[in-house]
Amino acid sequence: MKRIALMLMVVIAFSACNNEKTTKVTTDNIEKELQTKLINAKDGDIIEIPEGRFSFTRSLSLNDVPNVTIKGAGIDKTFLSFKDQIDGAEGIRIKADGITVEGFTIEDSKGDAIKIQDSKNVVIRAINATWTEGAKETNGAYGLYPVNCENVLMENCEASYSSDAGIYIGQSRNVLMRNNLAHHNVAGIEIENCRMVEAYDNIAENNTGGFLIFDMPGLPQANGYSVKVHNNIVRDNNFKNFSPEGGMVNIIPPGTGMLVVAHNDVEIYSNTIEGYKTLGLAIVTFNFTQRPFKTENGFSPYYSKLNIYDNTFNRKGGVAGVPDITKEFGKMVNGMFPAQTQDILIDGIFNPDLEQANGNYVGDNRVCIRNNGDDIRFVNLNADGAKDLGDIKKSFDRDMEKFDCTIPSIDTEITKENLVLNKR
Amino acid sequence: MISTKIIKGIAFCAAIILIINCSTTSKSVRVDVEADPFEKLSDYHFFTGIQNNLQPNAGVLPYDLITPLFTDYAEKSRFVWMPDGTSAAYNSKEVVDFPEGAVLIKNFYYNHDAADLSKGRRIIETRLLMKRPDKWDAISYVWNDEQTEAFLEVAGDVKKVEWKDKLGTERSVNYVVPNKNQCKGCHEYKGELMPIGPKVRNLNYTFAYEDGAKNQLDKWAEVGYLTEYDNSIEHPKVAKWDDASSGSLHDRAMSYLEINCGHCHRKEGPGSVSGLFLMIEEDNPLNMGICKTPVSAGKGSGGNTYDIVPGNPDKSILVYRMETNDPGARMPEVGRSVMHEEGVALIREWITAMEGGCQKSMDEK
Repeated sequence: MKRIALMLMVVIAFSACNNEKTTKVTTDNIEKELQTKLINAKDGDIIEIPEGRFSFTRSLSLNDVPNVTIKGAGIDKTFLSFKDQIDGAEGIRIKADGITVEGFTIEDSKGDAIKIQDSKNVVIRAINATWTEGAKETNGAYGLYPVNCENVLMENCEASYSSDAGIYIGQSRNVLMRNNLAHHNVAGIEIENCRMVEAYDNIAENNTGGFLIFDMPGLPQANGYSVKVHNNIVRDNNFKNFSPEGGMVNIIPPGTGMLVVAHNDVEIYSNTIEGYKTLGLAIVTFNFTQRPFKTENGFSPYYSKLNIYDNTFNRKGGVAGVPDITKEFGKMVNGMFPAQTQDILIDGIFNPDLEQANGNYVGDNRVCIRNNGDDIRFVNLNADGAKDLGDIKKSFDRDMEKFDCTIPSIDTEITKENLVLNKR
Repeated sequence: MISTKIIKGIAFCAAIILIINCSTTSKSVRVDVEADPFEKLSDYHFFTGIQNNLQPNAGVLPYDLITPLFTDYAEKSRFVWMPDGTSAAYNSKEVVDFPEGAVLIKNFYYNHDAADLSKGRRIIETRLLMKRPDKWDAISYVWNDEQTEAFLEVAGDVKKVEWKDKLGTERSVNYVVPNKNQCKGCHEYKGELMPIGPKVRNLNYTFAYEDGAKNQLDKWAEVGYLTEYDNSIEHPKVAKWDDASSGSLHDRAMSYLEINCGHCHRKEGPGSVSGLFLMIEEDNPLNMGICKTPVSAGKGSGGNTYDIVPGNPDKSILVYRMETNDPGARMPEVGRSVMHEEGVALIREWITAMEGGCQKSMDEK
């Protein structure tokens, strides 16, 4: 399967070289000209946007033309402003295999900055998505938003002030995220319902929650797996939660480093997580969110097969303080341990249908938390059946022993395949 | 005497010229599925005589939908044309299976005064959906201010439109002509461009043709545009959203949601990633949004937790997104910049009538 994918990628890499045409958009009436070029684009075209700041009133879109590159003069040279947008739910909307977007900044889109859906072989490189008026509930939800894509490379990008997730990947397969910077978003970097993802050398700072790995119910692609997150810096994520109520990220308490919800098969290692005032890493089931869900589509609300090791936790960091009390989750932490930031929290709710022994799953399904520093404040809520804070206060323990184990590392073959994209 | 003869002669010549002229303008419909779109709408000869009268040429059959898609209060006049000897095949669930070369012609216009149609109308655009050999193509023509011709436009346009509604209120809208890519934002089925409206269940009612009223399916069959159709049996039929005698509140609401949302919010459409499905067949309450939490709605939630809270339209994201005019939150994403008051009223009534409620989640307590 993987070999087939690799061969396919090579074929694509070569075919993309044929007949390609580079056209430069001029600066007069750029909106209409650029959109017309995107509509009339042919396989392999490179569409260049010059240096400068350009205003758009409508979404830009590309549909079904393969191997198109949309290229600005640089992340800090070409600015597409959607401040005056009257139409379209995104700044840029793309559904096209082999798409590369590169070298520009998207400002103030009314909805998501760039959405790429149902596409294969996607490169998002050196793109900045931001909202220039700072943290506002009315900012667009997502900065970079590939969804239901396959073979995705996101690198050297930046996202800030999105009211949901800055750098997001959802319901996708075979994804590589590296060297990205997410700051002042509600969620910095988010991986949701994805399969085969590797994320490294990213920085998430000054968000409400730095790095999220979620599995959500009610979606066509349920049950993400094989998510590998390593060598990232996740720091000072204490920013206020300015998301509108209702969205999943609205539950995140400011001061959350990493948050894993309902995910299976995740490896988190060699990350530096510091300067969080509430929680360094929280691992919870979907049940814990107290939101309704159904297990159709095979969705499992439980986490399993988690391998968390060799991370550096430093709750002190730059601007940390006492746990958040603006969100229920923060209030709970603060209620249990007044003014005490916790490094690693697990809700301790286990799937009764999976074999267990000694308070953990058995074999490769285990949750392993090992070698993350000596001075770790670890808490297991044992929250199964707990109804309120009073129950949790009685049920919790700080026993890390049962999680002191190791399971096999995730195969990194996927990353190598994805590197083929990098040659584009 | 002589002068009368001359005048008569001139009149006779004029009549001849007129006839010749008429015969040239009544040329048959011209569609080339292999060619690039024509620059002008009149080049297709879909309409005879003065173009903005939208008088259909031979073979161009008007049709209507029981429940239409709302587009900023624009009126729509629809026609279908198929090449000689071809026809669409009956399909009980999806859009009828059109033959290659078929064209759906949809004119979007505003009556200057909805209470007095004699004051005329302004046609904004005419959209063609043409079935080319391998796939459907969406082609849009924008009418000039003189209303004499419509010209090909791929990048879309924005037109300020003003009109007086039935109650005499002055209204205006920045009417957005979608660009070619936006068309596919709605008209997508399994990744391919597809018509939305002409399903058997949405065509199955009586239309006032010039030669008398008739069920549209019967008419299509009669003129040879529909095959594999058996008119001796009952065929599916949606409720008319604004006619209480046509179906239950639930049926009318679902009919409205299907045509306005279901083309995208279905498993085969671009809205599938949301997990919200609004087709008439949908019988799973969670899939249709009842107590379903959004995934990526962002500010589209309007501060609410669930898509639909039974009994509580004010807490239902579905209603919020139908009411807001924020481009980043409104639904549908394309084709609506003002709220459809009557449509929202129907959905509010439907949700109000639902029993039960949703459990409170962590972030609501």
